Amino acid sequence: MSAVVAAVLLPLLVGGGLVLSGGRVPGRVAALAGAATTVVSAALVVAAWAASGRGEVAGEVDAAWIEAIGARWHLGVDGISFPFVLMTLLLGLLCCVSLVDHAPAGDGPPSALVGLVLVVVGAALGVFSSLDLLLFFVFFELALVPMWFVVARWGDGEGRSRAATRFLVFTVTGSALMLAGFITVGRLAGSLQLTDIAVLRVLVTGPVGMFAAVTILLGLAVKTPVWPLHTWLPDAHGSAPTVGSVLLAGVFLKLGTYGLLRVWLAVVPQQAEVLAPALATFAVVGIVWSALACLRQTDLKRLVAFSSVGHMGFVVLAVASASPLGVSAAVLGSVAHGVVTGLLFFVAGALRRRYGATSWEALGRGLWLRTPRTAGVLAFAAIASLGLPGLAVFWGELLTLRALYEVGPVLGRPLAWTLLAVAALGVVLTSAYVAALLRRVLQGVPTPDDRDGELAGSDVPVVAVLVAATVVLGVAPGLVLGVVEPDLLAVLGGVR
Amino acid sequence: MIDWSDVVAPLVVAGGGILALLLDAFGTRRSWRRSGIVSFLALVAALVVLLSPSRPDGLQQALGVLVVGGTLLVVLAAAVMEHEDSMPPGELHFLLLVSASGGLSMVLARDLATLVVSLELLSLPSIALVGLRRGDVDAARGAWTFFVVSVVSTAVTLLGIAFVYGVSGTLVYDELALRLSASRAPAEVVGAAVVLTVVGLLFKLGAVPLHLWVPGTYRGASVPVAAYLSVVSKAGAAGALVLLLPDAFGLQGESWRPVVAVAAALTLVVGNLGAWVQDDVVGLLAWSSIAQAGFVLAPMAVLTTPGVASAPIRYLAVYALANLVAFGVVGLVRRRWGGTSMAHVAGLVRVEPWTGSALVLALLTLAGFPPAVIGLVAKYVVLEPLLDPRFGTPYAWLAVVVALNVVVGLVYYLRLVAVVVGPVGPRLAGSTVSPSPPRAVVVARTAVLVPAAALVVTSVQPDLLLSWIP
Repeated sequence: MSAVVAAVLLPLLVGGGLVLSGGRVPGRVAALAGAATTVVSAALVVAAWAASGRGEVAGEVDAAWIEAIGARWHLGVDGISFPFVLMTLLLGLLCCVSLVDHAPAGDGPPSALVGLVLVVVGAALGVFSSLDLLLFFVFFELALVPMWFVVARWGDGEGRSRAATRFLVFTVTGSALMLAGFITVGRLAGSLQLTDIAVLRVLVTGPVGMFAAVTILLGLAVKTPVWPLHTWLPDAHGSAPTVGSVLLAGVFLKLGTYGLLRVWLAVVPQQAEVLAPALATFAVVGIVWSALACLRQTDLKRLVAFSSVGHMGFVVLAVASASPLGVSAAVLGSVAHGVVTGLLFFVAGALRRRYGATSWEALGRGLWLRTPRTAGVLAFAAIASLGLPGLAVFWGELLTLRALYEVGPVLGRPLAWTLLAVAALGVVLTSAYVAALLRRVLQGVPTPDDRDGELAGSDVPVVAVLVAATVVLGVAPGLVLGVVEPDLLAVLGGVR
Repeated sequence: MIDWSDVVAPLVVAGGGILALLLDAFGTRRSWRRSGIVSFLALVAALVVLLSPSRPDGLQQALGVLVVGGTLLVVLAAAVMEHEDSMPPGELHFLLLVSASGGLSMVLARDLATLVVSLELLSLPSIALVGLRRGDVDAARGAWTFFVVSVVSTAVTLLGIAFVYGVSGTLVYDELALRLSASRAPAEVVGAAVVLTVVGLLFKLGAVPLHLWVPGTYRGASVPVAAYLSVVSKAGAAGALVLLLPDAFGLQGESWRPVVAVAAALTLVVGNLGAWVQDDVVGLLAWSSIAQAGFVLAPMAVLTTPGVASAPIRYLAVYALANLVAFGVVGLVRRRWGGTSMAHVAGLVRVEPWTGSALVLALLTLAGFPPAVIGLVAKYVVLEPLLDPRFGTPYAWLAVVVALNVVVGLVYYLRLVAVVVGPVGPRLAGSTVSPSPPRAVVVARTAVLVPAAALVVTSVQPDLLLSWIP
């Protein structure tokens, strides 16, 4: 068995076992076991990656699976997927570590929550390493039902069940259409293997090809989400428990952006060129809209949720540019968003545990003076989120804007530069809402509260790791870009 | 001339039914075990006959196995009704097996006369099965509805067959294809004859707008009988359609293809909407089985040449396994806790881990969601012919309807799953109303766990099921 397959199956098996154990495993033990599982998986993937040469697929497995419909058990990790895989495992590890001390109360034993988290992580790993369209789809859907349970069972507030179901209906509607698109591609190209389709994609043409491109795009646009299909996101992210929000923002949305690269741009490049201007336009509208929506938020968790729409707008914009720079920017932007938004949600979760809510009233004012270290981390994460140079998010956004400035093969100059201007406006508005957040919560006359206290328990290592990752990605984006570059052709081989 | 190799299996099944009835009638006291064992052995014998390598047509063989295997599991699941005074075992087994022999001849038929006789043989005993429980008003009402609609639709089919014979002069499938297109009758008449013939089969399949009998009948019948109707009866009708449409009416595609496509779309939408508002598990499964028939029907819209009929049958096989599991679990719950409402399955996974998990797996399979990969693959299989560019994809709209209905289905299946894995409700926390004899429960549980195990195995390796259906 290849190390990559083992890395995917291990969290699924351990997670499935914990879910089925029905609470016989104590929560702390389960969380530690989950953390160990993600570490072992990461070691397996890194070993497979180190053993392979640059520009080839690490740990590739290609075995017969469903011959009746041409689907194969075809997995492997290349330079596009490797950063996504590592980010998923890092966030999975931190979620488990956070659950050691801070398991939320819910309708079920804590070990089941750890199990569901592991299943989501394993399914995401499966998506990132699938080289077969049906296998990609199976893993894509496998993550959904566990996530629904995480939000509906362990979420906060009255609306959690509604939010979870809305999230499910939106994403499943998208992915059901995407399945129709995959089948069409499979019939046109005569294969479901991404490696074959990369060679045969000239065959995916005509109105049928366009049908496939549109349905696949719709499925991924709901997941990412692209404005105006984002309406499921704020409620789901807002009502999920902390680990649910982290996984939704850090991992789930990346299934969409990774899919845009791997099963849209790479699979239907000719149609993607036609659709890219429209997609890019929706993306910049999303950037501005999300910043405006954030300005009006009065709740930290919802603010972070809304800000994701804007960050994803940048990533989608980068994908739509269909240039090498754009693809690098999309991968970097996805990873950076996972790290920084993960950090924000962990801090918001810690505050929520302390104050019972994350609304401005509940948090009070003057956090700088009340809990300086927590406030410092929050300020750091918020400033990273707005794209301060030297921190993670900066490079993804800068490279996206540069890809637009250089005018890639797809978007014309007038359109590209217009989009550039509007996206830049979005950056300004982002600074505005981050500044508003800092002023409202951190500054002002302190309103001391009996519950005031710094981050504690397993929150400390979690936050420390994410702060370090934010700095490292900001100082050395080449770590990711160097991995992505040799495999750019895997995505862009079909673009003129 | 009679080809005995085709007739042996239905005769074995019918003979077993008659034997079960006689043994029960002349026995000193009513015994579930006696007639049950005879039925079981007859069905196993029929399976052996069907699986003998002399049978050439793989599709008919697969359909036959589906019908007989489904009946076998229903007979085992029906063991939960042992010692229910209102349920006579001899009659139950007799009617089940005779009806199954009708279903079996239906999928083995190669001419319209055999088809209509088999259709009646399938229908009439199943009407009696629905009304079998003595002194039950719901049962009588369900049987009466079923009877009226059944008679009307059979009459329509007979009218169609009369027309078909009138314009072609033959009833044999293989001759009909050419004779119908060579007929000098106006194309409209030929088209009407074909469509009328198909109507009776659509009724048995429970397709909209001929679905209205389904919910009342399923709820009136005992749970194993509802399982029988939803699986074996549907398999017979779907099998007959899959053989009849391309083989006999293949050149008349313009007349029946839009009818089948629209019926499939309506069936999906109406069935799913009906299931959405149910708060009884049997009601939910009844409406959802209407929607599931839509999935079976959809790929039939592009059945063109003989031999590309695998998609509906592959779907049907997966559906049959999952639905038998679901109904089997509900039958157990009804026997032990006396009801089939949502409250009766709340927390089932914690009270009965094995059967509860089997129910969850079956529901996820019906919804088409991982970890029940086989359910997802089944959805893939029915969408594939609709999106095949070789056919010019005139039914891509139907593919979109199918895809969107997967979503609706997921919501209500998942709502039930959430109840089943949720906190234990007061019903299950209380004691069982009817402590079934352990033997009957063990048998019925086997009838649930065996197909559930099949779902697990085929989710890992779907080819085990798919490649077996040509």
